[in-house]
Amino acid sequence: MDQVTNRVKTLYHEEHVMGTVVTFDVYPGEFSDEDLLRESIESAVTILHDADDVFSTWKSESPLSRLRRGEIELDQAPLVVREVLDLCEVARSLSNGWFDPWSIPGGVDPTGLVKGWAAQRALEELHRHAIDGAIVNAAGDVASFGGPNGSSKFRVGIVNPAKPQTLACIVQSPGAVATSGEYERGQHLYDPFARTLATRSASATVVGPKLGLADALATALVIGGRDVLGAIVELQGYEGLIIEPDGSMRMTPAFPLVR
Amino acid sequence: MDYNFGILSVKVQVTGTKITNVSIGAINDGGNFRSVSIDQQAIPLLEQEAMQAQSANIQSISGASYTSAGFIQSLQSALTQLGL
Repeated sequence: MDQVTNRVKTLYHEEHVMGTVVTFDVYPGEFSDEDLLRESIESAVTILHDADDVFSTWKSESPLSRLRRGEIELDQAPLVVREVLDLCEVARSLSNGWFDPWSIPGGVDPTGLVKGWAAQRALEELHRHAIDGAIVNAAGDVASFGGPNGSSKFRVGIVNPAKPQTLACIVQSPGAVATSGEYERGQHLYDPFARTLATRSASATVVGPKLGLADALATALVIGGRDVLGAIVELQGYEGLIIEPDGSMRMTPAFPLVR
Repeated sequence: MDYNFGILSVKVQVTGTKITNVSIGAINDGGNFRSVSIDQQAIPLLEQEAMQAQSANIQSISGASYTSAGFIQSLQSALTQLGL
């Protein structure tokens, strides 16, 4: 590591929620009211827990679980359920059907998008303040604004799926970096066309302005591979990367690789 | 109804309460929209030497989703402990 390191002051918080860990890194810069930032982190954390309470398929009484069981109709569920399902509909269309929460056996499951969507909303609590930047990392899906100081953007490492203790590459974040793959939790991704658990790539990363959509597209990309890369090329502001099982990488032309 | 995802704008048609059509808003590319095949666009790279997070100037790590238990072993957790 560089001997002359610019260690900037950051606030860090770790929250166990949604069955995983969500971390916050806040770069205050010249902003001095640390208590206010801590309050905003708390508000952000509440947003994550609220989303978990509504959407968790592990909580049998969550509105989503009840919807899946047919106990309630969509118009009896909290408004955010419709908001998320509408976003899923848009993502399904933009991904040419490779992201399809309605195809999964067991009922509609927007899990492939909810984490990113919730993390993005949580980040907005920090965006109220004139700080250099902030990062919300929800189990590997990363939402951010600004950068580590006033002049640069955040650099995000992408895990190497073949060697998860190392990186495959580094990207400059445009606001959202989402990665999907099965190397952490085993097979859990469903191919809506083959109608089976399957992925074509070892991992896939989508970057763009908004983490909810990036999350959905990354899920679609790891399942569909090169076919989905073609769909992402059409989406202004969103870029994709796939890492194949043999370690080769393919990406859209404007993918913001820095190393 | 318009959705805004950054510079990508998506138009959504709603009939009653259901989304019935989704289309990408006009792409402002000087009026020239080019559709190129993926073979021309995608750039295959040979596997690069795997990088160590400690030697890279990064602030966060994106990878496949882990559980709470998995977090402890994750690179993101290591990055935090390294104080980067």
